[in-house]
Amino acid sequence: MKILIIEDEPSLNKSMVDYLTQQQYLCESVTRYADALEKIERHNYDCIVLDIMLPGGNGLQLLEQLKANKSADGVIIISARNELDDKITGIQLGADDYLTKPFHLPELSVRIAAIIRRKNQQGNNQMQFQEICIDIKGKTVTVNNDPLILTRKEYELLLYFVINKNRILSKNAIAEHLWGDDMDIADNHDFIYTHIKNLRRKMIQAGTGDYIRSVYGMGYKFSVQ
Amino acid sequence: MKLFTKYNRIAITTSVIIFMAGSFAFYLTLRYVMIRQLDDVLRTERAEILQYLNEHHELPEMLNTKDQWSVVRRTAHPLERMVFTTEKGINPHEHGKEWLRKIQFTLQVHDEPYEISIYKSQEGTDDMIKLIILIAIVMIALILLAGNLINRTLLKKLWQPFYHTIDTIKEYQLTQDKALRLPGTGVEEFTLLNTSVSNMTERAQHEYQVLKEFTGNAAHEMQTPLAVIATHTDALMQDEQLLHRHAASIASIEQSVGKLAKLNQSLLLLAKIEHGRFELNQEVRWDELLQQKLNEWQELITGQNLKVSLSIVPVATVFHEHLADIVISNLLNNSIRYNIAGGHIAIILNHEGFSIANTSSLPALDTSKLFNRFFRQSGTGPDGNGLGLSIIKQVCELAHHRITYQYTHQQHVFTIFFSNSDRPSDF
Repeated sequence: MKILIIEDEPSLNKSMVDYLTQQQYLCESVTRYADALEKIERHNYDCIVLDIMLPGGNGLQLLEQLKANKSADGVIIISARNELDDKITGIQLGADDYLTKPFHLPELSVRIAAIIRRKNQQGNNQMQFQEICIDIKGKTVTVNNDPLILTRKEYELLLYFVINKNRILSKNAIAEHLWGDDMDIADNHDFIYTHIKNLRRKMIQAGTGDYIRSVYGMGYKFSVQ
Repeated sequence: MKLFTKYNRIAITTSVIIFMAGSFAFYLTLRYVMIRQLDDVLRTERAEILQYLNEHHELPEMLNTKDQWSVVRRTAHPLERMVFTTEKGINPHEHGKEWLRKIQFTLQVHDEPYEISIYKSQEGTDDMIKLIILIAIVMIALILLAGNLINRTLLKKLWQPFYHTIDTIKEYQLTQDKALRLPGTGVEEFTLLNTSVSNMTERAQHEYQVLKEFTGNAAHEMQTPLAVIATHTDALMQDEQLLHRHAASIASIEQSVGKLAKLNQSLLLLAKIEHGRFELNQEVRWDELLQQKLNEWQELITGQNLKVSLSIVPVATVFHEHLADIVISNLLNNSIRYNIAGGHIAIILNHEGFSIANTSSLPALDTSKLFNRFFRQSGTGPDGNGLGLSIIKQVCELAHHRITYQYTHQQHVFTIFFSNSDRPSDF
């Protein structure tokens, strides 16, 4: 899976590259408009992470270029501007998603995974982790071919964990993913705990390994221990 | 006191005093002139008598009328000069006393001194003076009255531009994104006032604009560095050894970045609302939105054992989806966050408006500061940035909706009244 990261802030660019590389993506990165233009003219990517404000040009122009090239690349815009107009224009110009800075890297990862899945229609819509199989289209989970009944939030939580497996995920990142960022969850970490406890119980009852681990009270990690 | 009333008081008092003094002076002058005239007549009378005496060496026969009569008698004390006096006396041709003008002089007839007094009635003169004074007073009264009336109507008309300006200023709001435009008036003073006010608002507007842009830009410029911190914290966290040693520090950084990010977004949102970047032109189904939010946060609600009672009818208004979402989210969020375990949330939505009541451990909120930016009720804890309610307020102002807060039956009640201008449509 090839990803192009277009972000002019080198430090941010690097942390995205590092994170996504660890998730087995093949990452290329540019910081300038001209370089970005060259890259998208020459190569195809499964997903492009695009910052709107770039030195030397606007990210939206790149989108237009992609559209003109009839490119099938998925695009997620990351912008410092939480502008509805930009979002709408971006989506109209063919972007698949929009993420406002600052964001959590696991969130970016989930969004990229979703875009790639959507673009890849003929490919399988299933995600496997050990004995757990997630059917993304049907939003169902099976463990060793037996259905595992989850609530919507539990399902979202599991998918988030599986996509960001082997990563430590902070409670804030999880809460924001589940309830959006208009929910102030500073006090509400208990809810996450309850959710995770329930999910873990259901999974173990269904016969999976114990994959969810709390990490120093900071967050959780989903991995084969 | 109105300027006109004040002006009138001074003007009328002064005119009355001046007119009274004037009338008195006029009366005195007129009287003096009239008496001089009488004296002239009396002097002529004397001259005629003297002439007759010179020619005929005897006194003429005196002809007495009701206006003028003479009295001749011998005298032992001859006057050296003629004497004019005014006295009250009896007119032999009339009844009663009246004011008389008299000339007295002594003549030598056949070497004998005779004192001759010629009387002239002042009645006619007095009547004339009275009439003249009366006419003068009536005239003065008429002039004052007319002046007042003219002033009243004319001034009202003349001051029209002034009141227009005042009305415009009253309506004026700095947050409206346009400077005050006041028309020319054709009166130099008012035009001066208008241009000064226009210039002033223009300057204020400019300053305000600069300030707003500053807030927006500052918040905006912070987003990328925040993103850098956030992503690097995410990356740092992945090192379990490091996390083991610095879990508390990393957790605080992570939370603070999150808070800062939210604060920034709130400030940007406020700036955008103030900039008028949201046009209310979408039909928003409040009931659907509310239901959707409740579903989304179902776990949070049941997690606290909150009882939610709903009284909802389908309501749609012309609004902005994103803003409506923010309003509902913020209110609902507050009602959950500040609630007590096993508490209660009551939501009412109808065509009049939307109200949400909840139990809470917090006492009644300070209504005077409630909607101020960064106001935080004591006891609310460090979460939340104190912008949620001011955002709601701002959105309501944009939509001309009224938002109220009440504390009744140990419940915090926020109510938004939909404005009458865009009555929600029925279904």
